[in-house]
Amino acid sequence: MFEKIKIAEGVNLYIRPTTQFKTISFSFKFRTALTKQSASQRTVLSNVLQHSNAVYKTNAAYRSALDDLYGAVLYFDTGKKGTQHAFYMNAEVVNEQYLAEDQVLDKMMTMMQTALLQPNLQDGVFLDNIVAREKQIVTERIAAVFDDKTRYAQHRLMQILRPQGAASISANGTVQDVATITATSLYETYQKMLSKDTIDIYIVGDVDVREMAARIQSHFAFTDRMPYTQTIEQVAPQPFDYVREQQVMKQGKLHMGFSTPVAFGDDRFPVMQVLNGVFGGYAHSKLFMNVREKESLAYYASSSYLSHYSLLFVTSGIEPENEDKAYQLIQQQLQAICDGQITARELQQTKAQLKNQLREALDVARGQIEVYDQYKSLKEPFTVENWSAKWEAVTAQEISELAAQIKLQAVYFLSGKGE
Amino acid sequence: MEVLHFTQLDEKLYYEKLANGLTVYILPKKGFSKTYATFTTKYGSVDRTFIPIGKEEPITVPDGIAHFLEHKMFEKEDEDVFQKFSEQGASANAFTSFTRTAYLFSSTGRVYDNTKTLLDFVQQPYFTEETVNKEKGIIGQEITMYDDQPSWRLYFGAIENMYHNYPVKIDIAGTIASIDEITAEHLYTCYNTFYHPSNMLLFIIGAVDPQEMMDFVRADQAAKDFPQAQKIERFFDDEPTDVAIKHRTLHMDVQKPKVYVGLKARETSLQGVAMLKHELALDMAMELLFGRTSAFYERLYEAGLVDETYDAGFMLEKGYGFSLIGTDTNEPDAFIQAVKDELQQLEKHIAFTEEEVAREKRRTIGATLRQLNYIESIANQFTRYAFNDMNLFDVVPTLEKITAQDLIDAFQSIQGESQQTSFVILPLEENA
Repeated sequence: MFEKIKIAEGVNLYIRPTTQFKTISFSFKFRTALTKQSASQRTVLSNVLQHSNAVYKTNAAYRSALDDLYGAVLYFDTGKKGTQHAFYMNAEVVNEQYLAEDQVLDKMMTMMQTALLQPNLQDGVFLDNIVAREKQIVTERIAAVFDDKTRYAQHRLMQILRPQGAASISANGTVQDVATITATSLYETYQKMLSKDTIDIYIVGDVDVREMAARIQSHFAFTDRMPYTQTIEQVAPQPFDYVREQQVMKQGKLHMGFSTPVAFGDDRFPVMQVLNGVFGGYAHSKLFMNVREKESLAYYASSSYLSHYSLLFVTSGIEPENEDKAYQLIQQQLQAICDGQITARELQQTKAQLKNQLREALDVARGQIEVYDQYKSLKEPFTVENWSAKWEAVTAQEISELAAQIKLQAVYFLSGKGE
Repeated sequence: MEVLHFTQLDEKLYYEKLANGLTVYILPKKGFSKTYATFTTKYGSVDRTFIPIGKEEPITVPDGIAHFLEHKMFEKEDEDVFQKFSEQGASANAFTSFTRTAYLFSSTGRVYDNTKTLLDFVQQPYFTEETVNKEKGIIGQEITMYDDQPSWRLYFGAIENMYHNYPVKIDIAGTIASIDEITAEHLYTCYNTFYHPSNMLLFIIGAVDPQEMMDFVRADQAAKDFPQAQKIERFFDDEPTDVAIKHRTLHMDVQKPKVYVGLKARETSLQGVAMLKHELALDMAMELLFGRTSAFYERLYEAGLVDETYDAGFMLEKGYGFSLIGTDTNEPDAFIQAVKDELQQLEKHIAFTEEEVAREKRRTIGATLRQLNYIESIANQFTRYAFNDMNLFDVVPTLEKITAQDLIDAFQSIQGESQQTSFVILPLEENA
C-alpha cells in the first residue's frame, strides 16, 4: 500500500498516494534505544521544538503561522514500542485543491523544515529559559499520571510486573532524568537524533510519489546512519505478587497482569489476538458478559494484549467490597478458555471484530501509517486479506492450549481509604 | 429523496423525511471501506420535565434517566444487542449528552444487516423491573468512576456554579440515589415520548449506496407501526442571566490545582443560520483573545501560570451556553485574577484587525476540511447542527460573511462581571 523509497542508509520514505482524504498527512519517526535518559531528553526536546524556532521565535508567532496555513497541524511527540524510543514530527495540511489558494503545500514543506531543522538557539544551544519551562511542563506531565486513577493503577502494575527494563519505562522519561537536562545536553541529544537515529517518513494523501520524494530530499538532507534494530528483551520472571494500595477515592481499580509465551510477530501471534478477543477485548467477550452483564460488578471489565512485552492485562473498576468476587470471576473466565469452553459463536464474533477493526483503522490516514509501520517489520508483505486468513485459521483447540501457558504474575488493587 | 451537492467540498448529501416523520441523511464517501451510522433522538439529560405522550399534565422524572434508558436499550428479551453486532462484524456504541441520545455502529461489511439491527433495537424497547434493577449496579460503577475523575468534577463544578435552575447543572448520569428510583414504567414513559421517529435523525455515512440504502430504510420504517406524531412539550424553570455561585473549591487527591473560569452566555435562544453565525463569531473571538496565539496566553505562559493543559473554548445549545477557560496551575487565584483583568480590559476596549479575522477564517476552514476526513465526526457534528436547524455544510459559506464587528457583538454575550464564575480543585491538605 505504501511505496518505499530509500533516501539514505537508515532513512526510508513511505508514500501512499490516495484521493480518500482532503488533507495530506506526514509522520517522521526517529528511533533509538529506549532508556530512562533517552526518553526524558527526547520528550523535553519535543516540547522545546514545539515552542518556537529560528523563524518564529515565540509560540504565538509559530502557532499564528500554522493558523494562517489553513489551520495546519504540526506537532512533536514521543512514544515507545518494545525496547525502542520514538520521537515524532506529525503534520497535516489541507490539500490546496479544496482552497482558493495555491502553494499551501510548498509553505507546509518549508514550515516542517523550519520546525525540525532551524531551532531557536542562543550561543549555539537552546535557550535556557525555554528549556527550564519545558522541563517543568514535562515533569508535571509525568506526575499527572497520579491524578488519573486507572492510568495510575496500570502504571503501578507495570512497575510490579517488570521493575527493570523497557516495559515500565514511560515514553516521557522520569522526573529525576528530566531534572539533569541542560540546554547543552539537550542540543547534543538533538544533533545525535538527526544524525544517528533510524528515520521512517510516512506521507499519505493526493500526492505524486516522485515529486514528493524530491521535495523531501531537498528539504531534509538526511545522511547515512547505522539502521537501528529492535532487540527482544530477556526478562527474568518476577515471583507472583498481590499488592493493595489506598488513596482518597471511591472506586476500586482491579488490575491483573499475565505473562504469555507470545510476542509480536511470533507464529502464535494471531492465536493470541483471538484469545484476547474471546477473553476480554470486546463487548461480546467473556469478561464483559460475565463481570458486567451477568454479575453487574463493573461498568468496565476488559483485557488487552501488549504484544511487544508478551503481556496480557485485565482492568476493571468495581465496588471495593467486591474485590475477591471480581478476582475469582475474572480468573474463572480464563480458566474456562483453558478448559475449552469457547463457543463457535464467540470465535466467529471475535474474528469478525478483528477483521473489522483492521479495515476501519485503514479509513484514517494516521491509521494507515500506524498499521503499516507496525506490520512492515514482519517478513511477509502486509495485506488485510493476509491477516484475515491468519485469524480465520485459528481454532478453539489452539486457543485453549495457549491459554494454559498464560500465567497470572501480578495483581494490583487500588481503593479508597476512610477519611 | 433530495440531493444536496456541495461542489467546493466535493460531497453529495442525500436527504428524505419519511412518512412516519423520521429524518434520514446519507453521505457516501469514496475510498472508504467503513460505514458509520448514528440513530439519534433529540432527548438528553436536560429533558426531565415534560408532558408524556397521550397525557395532559407535566411530570418530572428521576435524574439520569435518559442515560439509563440508553443502557437498557441494548438488552432484549432473547439477547444482548452487542452480541448480534459483534457477530455481524460491527462495533456498536451509544452516548447520552445534555440534549441528545445517540446509538451507533461502524462496520466494513454486512451494512444492511447492521442497519436493520440498529433500527430494530432502538425501535423495540424491552424493560422489566428485573433488568432495570440489574443495571443499577453497572451504572452505579460508572457514576463512581466519574466521581473519581478530577477533570470531570472540575467541568461539572463550573457548570453547577453557572446555573441556578437549568438542568444542564445536573450530571448526565444522575446520582446513585436518583437512579435507584428509576422503574421500568419510567423508562417506557420516556421512551414513548421521546423515541418517536419524528423526534429522531438517522445519519449514514461511508461505503454506502445512497439510493439503495434510502429504499431499504424507507421500507423498514413503512413496515413498522408508530402512533401519530405529537409535539413534545418540555418545561424549564426560568433561568436568571447571572451566575448562581461566584466561586467554589473542592479538595481531591491531585498533584496540582486545577481551575476553570466560566463565562455564562446571555444569548441562548438562537437557532438556524443566526445561531451558526453567532457561534462561529464567538469561537473566533475566544480563539483570538484567549487561544494559544493570544497575547494573553503568551503572557501567562511567561509568568508560569499556565501549562499544556490550558484550554479556552465556547459551547452553545438552545437554553444554555458558556465559555470555559482553564488550566492546571500552582497559582489558581492568580490565574483567575488574570482572566478577570483581561475581561475588564476588553470591556473598555475590544478590537480585531482584518488580518486576525482573516487568519481565524483560514484556521476554521482548514479545521472544517480536516474534519471531513473523519466520518464519525461528520455524523455526530451534522446531527448536532441539524437538531438546532443548522447545516454542517453551511459553515464555510457562513464563515466567509463574518466581520470583525460580528466578533465584537458575539463576545458581548459572555461579557460582564455578573457572568463570571470560577471553580478550583485543590490537592488534599497536609495532615487532613
